[in-house]
Order: sequence, then C-alpha cells, then structure tokens
Amino acid sequence: MARRAVRGQGQVACAWGCGGVHTAGMSPDGEVALRASGLRYAYGDRVAVDGVSFKLAPGEVLGLLGPNGAGKSTTIKMLIGLLPPQAGSIEVLGMAMSQHRSAIQARLGVVFEEKNLYPTLSGRENLAFFARLFGRRDVDLDGLLDRVGLATRGRDRVSGYSKGMRQRLTVARALLNRPDVLVLDEPTDGLDPVSARSIRGLIREEAERGVAVLLTTHDMYEADGLSDRVAFIDQGRILALDTPERLKLRHGQRTVRVRRQVDGAVEESVVTLDGDAGDRLRELVAAEGLLTIHTEEATLEDVFVAFAGRRLE
Amino acid sequence: MASHPVTAIIAKDLRLFLRDRFYAFITLLGLGFYVLVFWLLPAAAEPAIPIGLHLPGGEDLLAEALAEEADQGLEVVVFTSRSDLEAAVLAGDEVLAGLDFPAGFLPAVASGRPTTARVLLTGEAPAALHDALSAVVVEVAVAVAGQDPPVTFPEVEELVLGVDRADQVLSWREQLRPLLLLIVLLVEMFALASLVATEIAQRTITAILATPARVRDVLAAKTLLGTALAFSQAVLLAAVTATFTRQAALLLVVLLLGAVLVTGFGLVAGSLGQDFIAIVFWSMVFFVPLVIPAFAMLFPGTPALWIRALPTYGLAETLVRVTGYGEGWAEVWPLLALLAAWGVAAFLLGAGVLGRRVVRV
Ligand SMILES: Nc1ncnc2c1ncn2[C@@H]1O[C@H](COP(=O)(O)OP(=O)(O)OP(=O)(O)O)[C@@H](O)[C@H]1O
Ligand SMILES: [Mg+2]
Repeated sequence: MARRAVRGQGQVACAWGCGGVHTAGMSPDGEVALRASGLRYAYGDRVAVDGVSFKLAPGEVLGLLGPNGAGKSTTIKMLIGLLPPQAGSIEVLGMAMSQHRSAIQARLGVVFEEKNLYPTLSGRENLAFFARLFGRRDVDLDGLLDRVGLATRGRDRVSGYSKGMRQRLTVARALLNRPDVLVLDEPTDGLDPVSARSIRGLIREEAERGVAVLLTTHDMYEADGLSDRVAFIDQGRILALDTPERLKLRHGQRTVRVRRQVDGAVEESVVTLDGDAGDRLRELVAAEGLLTIHTEEATLEDVFVAFAGRRLE
Repeated sequence: MASHPVTAIIAKDLRLFLRDRFYAFITLLGLGFYVLVFWLLPAAAEPAIPIGLHLPGGEDLLAEALAEEADQGLEVVVFTSRSDLEAAVLAGDEVLAGLDFPAGFLPAVASGRPTTARVLLTGEAPAALHDALSAVVVEVAVAVAGQDPPVTFPEVEELVLGVDRADQVLSWREQLRPLLLLIVLLVEMFALASLVATEIAQRTITAILATPARVRDVLAAKTLLGTALAFSQAVLLAAVTATFTRQAALLLVVLLLGAVLVTGFGLVAGSLGQDFIAIVFWSMVFFVPLVIPAFAMLFPGTPALWIRALPTYGLAETLVRVTGYGEGWAEVWPLLALLAAWGVAAFLLGAGVLGRRVVRV
C-alpha cells in the first residue's frame, strides 16, 4: 500500500494545534483503512453499541467523542477483535475481521483504557514480551522507550512507574509492530500537559506516515486540535461525524463579546452572529464608547453539550 | 511460527513466577520442609497394632492371657460376634488383625481335643503379627489348661482378607512419601492459579489477545508451564527422598499425570478467582478434597468409596503401590488409566472455564 500523508502539502508535523486544513475523511483515491458497518453490541439487556458505522482513511485521525458509558470502549473492543459484534461487520486494510482476525491484529496498534501492563516486569521487558507476540525480534526497544520519554526508566519495574509513565509505556507498546492502524482508547488520560503534548505529537507523526488513527478522549481541546474528523457518540449511536470546523459552524454559535463605556459605567454584551458576519461586526466596531471586542467561535465542547445535553468534566 | 506466542508466554510467565516472592518462598520452604520431615522420620516400621478378639464365653480369660502379650505391643478389642470381627478387620480402622476362636474352643483345649482358632489378617498386616497372634493362641491354650501344656496344641488357621502384603510393612517414611509428593504437586496448583488469575485481573490477557496470539496459545502456555513446574518439583522431591530406586519410569509417568491433573485444577481455580483472596479460596476448595486420598493412604485398609471417587485417589494409590510396594505397570495400569482420565477431565474443565472467562473481557 502506498504510504502517503493525506494532510495538505507544505504542512509540517507539529506537536500540537496543527489546525489548518482538515481533509474530509478519505484520501483522494478513496482508500479505506478501517470500515465499521452497523456495529451492535449488548451486554445482556444493556445495549452498549447500536448501529455504529464509519470509515477511516490511511493517515486520518478520527476522534470518537461521547459521554461516559456512550459505548466508545465497547466499539473499540470490537474494532480490535476482542469482542465479536452481535451485528454488523468490520473491515481493516481490506480484510474482514470475522475471517482474518490474527492477520488484522498483526497490523493494529492498541492503547487500552486500562493500563494493562505486567507490574513485576520492567518497561523494557513488557515491550520485549509483546514484540515476541508479534513475532518481531528486531524492534528497537530503546528507541521506542525514548520516543515516549522513558529512556532512562526502561529497566525499572513498572510497579515503580507513575500513572503517566505507565500510560506512556502503553503508547510505546502500541507502536511496537509499526502498525498501519492505531486504535487508542484515551491515550492521554492521566498525562501532564507536557507529556500529553508529546504523545499528541507522536500520534500526529504516525498519521503523517500514513497510519490511520482512531482515538477517544474526554479532552475537547485535544480532540479539536488532533482530529481530522470527530464522531459524536451517545447511547451507542453516532449522532454526528464531520470535521471539527464544520461541526462547530453547524452546531455551535459564533458570538461577539463587546465592552463599552456608557455614561461612566462599563457595559458588557454578547451578540450572536449568523450568516455573513461582516456588516454586523463593522456596526459593532463603530459603536460609541467601545472598550474591547472579542469574537468567539463555538468550541467543540459547545457542540458536545449540544449533542449530549450535559457538560463534560 | 505457530509455537511462537506459546514460548513467549511461557518465558514471560516463568519470569513472573520466579519474581513472585510469595510462591518462590512457598516452593523453597515447602521443598526444604518435606525433605527434612522425610529424613527425620524413622526408617523402620514400628507396629503398635490393635487386634480384635472373638472368644465366646471366655472374655475374662482372654484379658488375662493378653496381659502377658502387652510387651509385644498388642492392643486388644473384644468382639462379641464373629461377623463383627471380620468386618472390623476388613475395614481396618479399629483393628488391624483378629483372632477368632470357635465356640467350643475352651472346653476342647481343656480336654485336649483338637480344635482350630482363626487368625484374621489384612494384606497390610506385618508378618511379625502373624507369629505374635499364633503365640496368643498358644497362651490362651496354656491359660486354660493350667501349668501343663495341653496334650494337643490348637491348630491355627490363617485367613488373609484383602490383598496379601504380609511381608511388606511400610515405615513412616514410606507411608508419608506419597503424601509429600501430592502436596508438592498441589502447591503448584496455587502458583498456576495465581498466574492465570492475575493475567485476567490485570487485563493483560486482553493485551495478549489483541495481538495475533489466541486463547489456545495462552492455554497451551499455562498448561505446559504449570505441568512443568509441578512435575519438576515432584521429581526433585522424589529424587531427594530416594524414591527412584525402583520402577523409575513408571513413577515418572505417574508424577507427570499427577502434574497434568493439578494443572487442570489450577486453571479452574485461577479462572474463577480474580484477586489474591479469591485465588486462595478457590485453590483451597480444590486443595482439601484433592489431598484427602493421600491422608487416607496413611491408614491401612481399602479407603471408603467417596475417597476412591476423588480425582487424586488414583495418584495417591499408585504412588503408594509403586513407591511402597514396588508394584509395576501390570499391577497399577487400571489406576493409571483412572488417573489419566481425571487428568484429561481436569484439563478440559480448566480450558473451558478459562475460555469462558476471557471471552467476557
Ligand atoms: N463488561 C461489561 N459488562 C456489562 N456492561 C458493560 C461492560 N462494559 C461496558 N458495559 C456497559 O456498556 C455501556 C458502554 O460502555 P463503554 O465502556 O463502551 O463506554 P465508554 O464510552 O467507553 O465510557 P467511558 O467514557 O466512561 O470510558 C455502559 O453502559 C457500560 O455500563
Ligand atoms: Mg471507555
């Protein structure tokens, strides 16, 4: 398969906040790295995933957002071959999950919701074990540990790692087999801002190499900056799937916060914009006694709240 | 390539096992303790044997005659009916041997008429007991006839109930050996259970199953390692307690089958228990009934039916017969078959429970 970044020409790998042009989710020639069709899973009577469908292109980062219990992790367990869907199908790199599970898993990199590592093994030993499971003895473990900032702690037992260090080790584990598809369940959970930023940079680098990335996060700022597209999921259903930009435009409001000096007092007002904002803005700027004027775009969090009806912590 | 994940998991688990201080401690301490106990125990048999007596109308006389036998280490229980005595000898809990005098014994001896007393023995009774009991018969006859030896000594008819092992008295050491071997095997059940349970509880099993490795690889790896750990320790203990002096090949097969058996139960216990307390609980649930047959072997006679129905009965009985009595393939093959069947059943049960457990991740 041709390895090619789908982001726009001239864009450099950036650690964070790449912003810029988001592609529409498919590479120009329509390659699909991962396709989920009508996935459904119920734990007994509780339906966790109810008809989830989407496509993921090589080099694309898709953020899966939704409140606690929305069905994100259950969807992920199906996508990585741990849970057989009760309805629907999964296709990864052109192979059907139901028939080629092992072949698909050989090309998947996964970060699990739980930091499932062996505490009595060192970080390096953990990686070496999983490398063997992938049948790879040629992995540069030290290089990988270095990429996640654990170069000096690789020979310590994981039981002595902090939460964030464990999290970073699971990210390193996901990259062991140089995967074509990365599936990351809350990869920056519990990380300090610097560590989180470096993990996001790492995810971006992988995407630039052409790796398709599906991730979940409860950090809307992260989802906005990192994802080419985001899917909102609630009660097992995808409610919206588009670029963050378009979702914010369609489902959020643009506002202007204006502070004026009126008769010696400071007056603040919030004005909602719609349609072409040019005239309205000129009008506001021309207003008497103007002190400050801020335009505000809707945030992904606003969109999220609009969909889920509740505010995330 | 197919064996690749299996060897990787075995190597990883062996490392985890060696790093688990609790099991390393239990294993070392256990082995040291068993070896010590074994060599401290007397090597020779010391029978202090209870015998049953049935002498219609002559109980007082018997007590008198037997007082003189006290120095022979005989302990006497008087029975009032012949069938009770026979049953007691056969059961082997209360008495090890019996003396059964016919109803007309006393007058017959007194008048010098020929008569016959029966000595009842089970297979496990030591040879010396036979002589001692024959002497008792003569003592009784002398007591009845007064100072003069009776004209006719009573005949002594020997009746062996069960398998004849008259010349093979087991020392404490030999009796305890099967018990120690079985305990070593069963302790490894805890270790394997712990490896399986932590793999599930830490969810590392899901990380394994998200790679090309399959549940069957995990199962194969755990089974091979569990069996190897149990087997090697049992072989080590057997070697240190000089058990391989006879029927070495047969004994190896028995220990191997025993190792498979405990591994199967270890898989079950590990798949059911998710934390340390639960592992210990489930392991004890299996440990207690599995160790009973070995204790039953310390007592002579055929064990009760419910003991024979326990999975480790075949193992304990074969160990006793092979290490104690030097029996060979020809004698113990039915027990081996029973043991193998239990081994297969335990393994299938373990595989089933583990399989079900990891599907719900
Ligand atoms: N093993 C399980 N057994 C029973 N129910 C489960 C199980 N795992 C998840 N569920 C249920 O399925 C639903 C979806 O859970 P899931 O873990 O997929 O949510 P999520 O979107 O990942 O939530 P979070 O953001 O909290 O991680 C929830 O109602 C949850 O209670
Ligand atoms: Mg989740």
